Amino acid sequence: MNAGLLLLEYAVIGLALLVVALDLFCHDSDRRRQIGLVASGCLAAICAYSFLIHPEGSAFGGAYVMDPLALWFKRFFLLTGVIVMVVSTEYAKQFETGVSEYYVLQLFALTGMLFAASANHFMLLFVALELMTVTFYVLVGYMRQRVSSLEAGVKYLVLAAMSSAFLIYGIALVYGVSGTMDFTQLGNRLQADHDLTGNVVLRLGMLLLFLGLAFKLAAFPVQIWAPDVYEGAPTPTTAFLAAGSKAVGVVLLLRLMGQAAYEFALGSEKLLMIVAGLTILYGSLCALPQRNLKRMLGYSSIASAGYLLMGFAAMSASGSVAILYYMAGYLFSVLGAFAVVAVVANRAGAADVGALAGLSRRNPLMAATLTMAMVSLAGIPPLAGFFGKFLIFKSVLEQGVNYGAYYYLVGVAIFGVIVSLYYYFNVIRAVYWSKDSADLTPIEISSPLRYTLWACIGGMLWLGLYPQVVLKSAAAATALLKLPSLN
Amino acid sequence: MQPTHIAEYLAPIILFLPLAAAVVIALFVRDDDEQSAQFSIGSVGLAFVASVTLFLLGGGRHEIGATWLDVGGLQVSFGLLIDDLSLLMLMIVTGVGLLVQIFSKGYMKGDPGYSRYFAFLSLFTFSMLGIVLADNLVMMFVFWELVGLSSYLLISFWFHKPSAADAGKKAFLTNRVGDFGFLFGILLVWAATGTLNIGELATKLAVDPHLLGAGATCAGLLLFCGAIGKSAQFPLHVWLPDAMEGPTPVSALIHAATMVAAGVYMLCRLFFLLTPDALEVIAVIGAVTSFLAALMAFQQNDIKRILAYSTLSQLGYMVMAVGIGSPNAAMYHLTTHAFFKAMLFLGAGSVIHALHHEQDIWKMGGLKSRLPGTYRTFWIGTMALCGVWPFAGFFSKDAILSSALGNGAYCAFLIGTLVAAMTAFYMTRLVLVAFGGVPRGDGVFGCHESPSVMTRPLWLLAIPSVIAGFWGIDVYLAETLPGGHGHASTWYEAMFAPINHSPLAAMFGLLAVAFGHAFARRLYANAVSDPLPLSAGLLAKIMRDRFYFDEIYAFLIRISQGALSTVADWFDRWIIAGLFVRGVSGFTDLFGRALRMLQTGNLQTYAFWLAAGIVVILFLTLPGAKGAGH
Repeated sequence: MNAGLLLLEYAVIGLALLVVALDLFCHDSDRRRQIGLVASGCLAAICAYSFLIHPEGSAFGGAYVMDPLALWFKRFFLLTGVIVMVVSTEYAKQFETGVSEYYVLQLFALTGMLFAASANHFMLLFVALELMTVTFYVLVGYMRQRVSSLEAGVKYLVLAAMSSAFLIYGIALVYGVSGTMDFTQLGNRLQADHDLTGNVVLRLGMLLLFLGLAFKLAAFPVQIWAPDVYEGAPTPTTAFLAAGSKAVGVVLLLRLMGQAAYEFALGSEKLLMIVAGLTILYGSLCALPQRNLKRMLGYSSIASAGYLLMGFAAMSASGSVAILYYMAGYLFSVLGAFAVVAVVANRAGAADVGALAGLSRRNPLMAATLTMAMVSLAGIPPLAGFFGKFLIFKSVLEQGVNYGAYYYLVGVAIFGVIVSLYYYFNVIRAVYWSKDSADLTPIEISSPLRYTLWACIGGMLWLGLYPQVVLKSAAAATALLKLPSLN
Repeated sequence: MQPTHIAEYLAPIILFLPLAAAVVIALFVRDDDEQSAQFSIGSVGLAFVASVTLFLLGGGRHEIGATWLDVGGLQVSFGLLIDDLSLLMLMIVTGVGLLVQIFSKGYMKGDPGYSRYFAFLSLFTFSMLGIVLADNLVMMFVFWELVGLSSYLLISFWFHKPSAADAGKKAFLTNRVGDFGFLFGILLVWAATGTLNIGELATKLAVDPHLLGAGATCAGLLLFCGAIGKSAQFPLHVWLPDAMEGPTPVSALIHAATMVAAGVYMLCRLFFLLTPDALEVIAVIGAVTSFLAALMAFQQNDIKRILAYSTLSQLGYMVMAVGIGSPNAAMYHLTTHAFFKAMLFLGAGSVIHALHHEQDIWKMGGLKSRLPGTYRTFWIGTMALCGVWPFAGFFSKDAILSSALGNGAYCAFLIGTLVAAMTAFYMTRLVLVAFGGVPRGDGVFGCHESPSVMTRPLWLLAIPSVIAGFWGIDVYLAETLPGGHGHASTWYEAMFAPINHSPLAAMFGLLAVAFGHAFARRLYANAVSDPLPLSAGLLAKIMRDRFYFDEIYAFLIRISQGALSTVADWFDRWIIAGLFVRGVSGFTDLFGRALRMLQTGNLQTYAFWLAAGIVVILFLTLPGAKGAGH
């Protein structure tokens, strides 16, 4: 056992326990709220530390691996955690009770994500996922005094439990046929025995597994939960779901397709393409008439899942690099957007697009962040989102030489991008040109949040203008996958 | 390139001083009228001093520049070219500009837009100097457009007056028509030669005269289009009379002395590009403009409009001079004309100022004794414009007439002589009616001479109007431009040089003036109303209505552009906006709304869709599943 590898997980769990302990010494809710700042600070330190270490190895008999891919995603999750924690601290004014518990639960969810990044065994995969998902059940329904939050919590509970049922059924079937739960062993067996690849039961198991993970991504046809849950959940939870939970799906799919079940994945480009195309269309089209910001971002998150699946459908090294890059850009864009929405919706009492009216005068920094986030999500240069989409489209087009259907997929995706311009720019219009702003009082935000917004802007610009650093790290992280490199 | 000669340091300073003034006024001293005027006048004054310094230091050709655009094969530098031609033009623009700005200080007093006026004027000076100093066609075009812009701003300076706003628009749009041709010409030249630098072009063409090939005439004429617009030549002359809606000093500087001369200056700069065929067209256009404008001037009653048509006519004269192959004479006339026409306009401004914005000459009369300073300078200007020996106008006009004779362009010579007579006629009419006779308007009785800040510039302009003829401008230009015949060494010789050189031309010119003057004196001495409409009837009315050019253009635009815009409007409304934009977006939107129906909010429905989706996917993907169905 190689327990040193789990340092990051230990640190986050330790931090969670520290928050619980601190809670004992804080007697008024305002003090409790401040614990969030401590947690953010510590988390930021852990995050910074994660960028300094390069451990490799495995623990728990190979069930837990620490490789560049795992490390890349752990950094991603920690960064997400820091931003979400800062937003939570700002948002926590709304909670009547249980402020520090909210932080603790977030840290537990984060731990689940960190474990999922390293999962190399179906057992660990399931446990990590459940750690995260069960925590999210609580986090989504956390605003007990608000019906919409409770409703979202119940919906998430039922639907996520259903998907977990499919997932574990899939795991059972795969284990039943292959006789192993270990990814490495599964990969070896599939490589050695070609009959296994053709096995219908194994195929059924793999499909169920895929759909269970697609649920986390919010991909068609298991996307149905996203808009309602995004809308009803407390905004920091929504942000965490959008960035963190989605990334868990991404990393596990990457590991499964690139390592454990590569031979199996090879035959399923068509399925991936269809799912990707439908997801993009569903997300983009449904977002069109949407006036609720959080719901709109929910549909936008579905569309993003579609773009990510395009990268999977490419089945190439450049496709997986593009996926990682897209996720990095998505992190800054979507968290920046949710940070602003959290504060504005808090003020206005509703997350309607109309609540943004006059934001450019009430708080220019927030207006700028939201605008840049929308521009980035819409995929317009020079921001991060553009480069992410560009890389994904490029990787898919590269495959078009082998299989013409890829061109159609890009066509669908471009249609989705054009449609998305409409609803993203609707937000920008509301921020800058909306006439019906009744309330023009300035919005004050705390300085940690201000720095966070600046960081999001910086991240979007940096990724869009100097993609080299992240591209290199993404290439290093995906090098161990078995996906073919085209050039 | 590092500047090596003093000229290379001074040229950018001259160019950017007015821009700096414009920026400073616009950004910092907007609210301080006095300081605005000081900055503007100071900058153009310094530019003038620098220009004169450059001239005194002696010429030579200098070029400085830095690469500005480098796209594909197109390399455009931001370069300044200083040679005899640009130096002369520099002094005209800054010198006349300085006097006009000083005059403006009095004329615009109390105007709410005082600072704005000076900022615009500085911007104009910067743009005009840019045209003068440009060493390549792209830069010239950029400043060409900037001049158009500042002209627009200044014509519609009193934008609250609908007529002024319309006039500005008209000037801008009419100029755009010409500029379009200019730009095409530039592209054609670039396509054929691969360079846009004027010096390089000249060298290349000297080596291979057929470099431009079959498109040579076409390129020349397209470039000339720019001059047609800016120098208000027939058929784009319609904007200039309307431009008189701007403040009078603006008319003096921009629409008499400098900007409208830019077209002529450009033709002289690019004279080496023009083929004989192109020159012939240019000569015809110039002659037609000159003649028509003189005719129109006969029956105008607005003091500024008479001068405006006179400007048109004189610009036609210059263009004709270029056309008959004598750019030297054209530049010569441009220079003298700048002095006396600026003075005439400023004189008119002084009259208008004294009469509280009365511009109808039939409501004036008897101003001779009331505005003595203005009258005397106006008289000098009239003499110079008509071409009476020894005033400046005589020499430059004679240079054109004698080169017409010398180059065998007898038609041009005849028209030139005729126009000289007509000029004498309408200018005599103007002076007699406005200044002579008895007062015919109420405003005349209480009026008094303008302040010295306005009369002094008049006198300062009167000096070159008298003596610019024997300064040796033609000799100075003979080195750079063909067509000159200057060889006199002393000013005394220069005074009589035209008569010795080409007695026939000088005699015809002077006779024409005498004839025109005598005819006008017979008709208008002590007249209380215009006798011409009675005797000439319909012809006088046509002249007064300016040959109906505006009406014809308006009609043409109505039938062509009106029809086109109706079709375009229909196409945009129904096909583009209706079918493509609204149709597609409507369909997409509808689809989105329909899809949203799935999202009912009901948990049982959601669970159903989730499970159904999974089942469908499994059914479609598993090969065995389909088989099992059988």
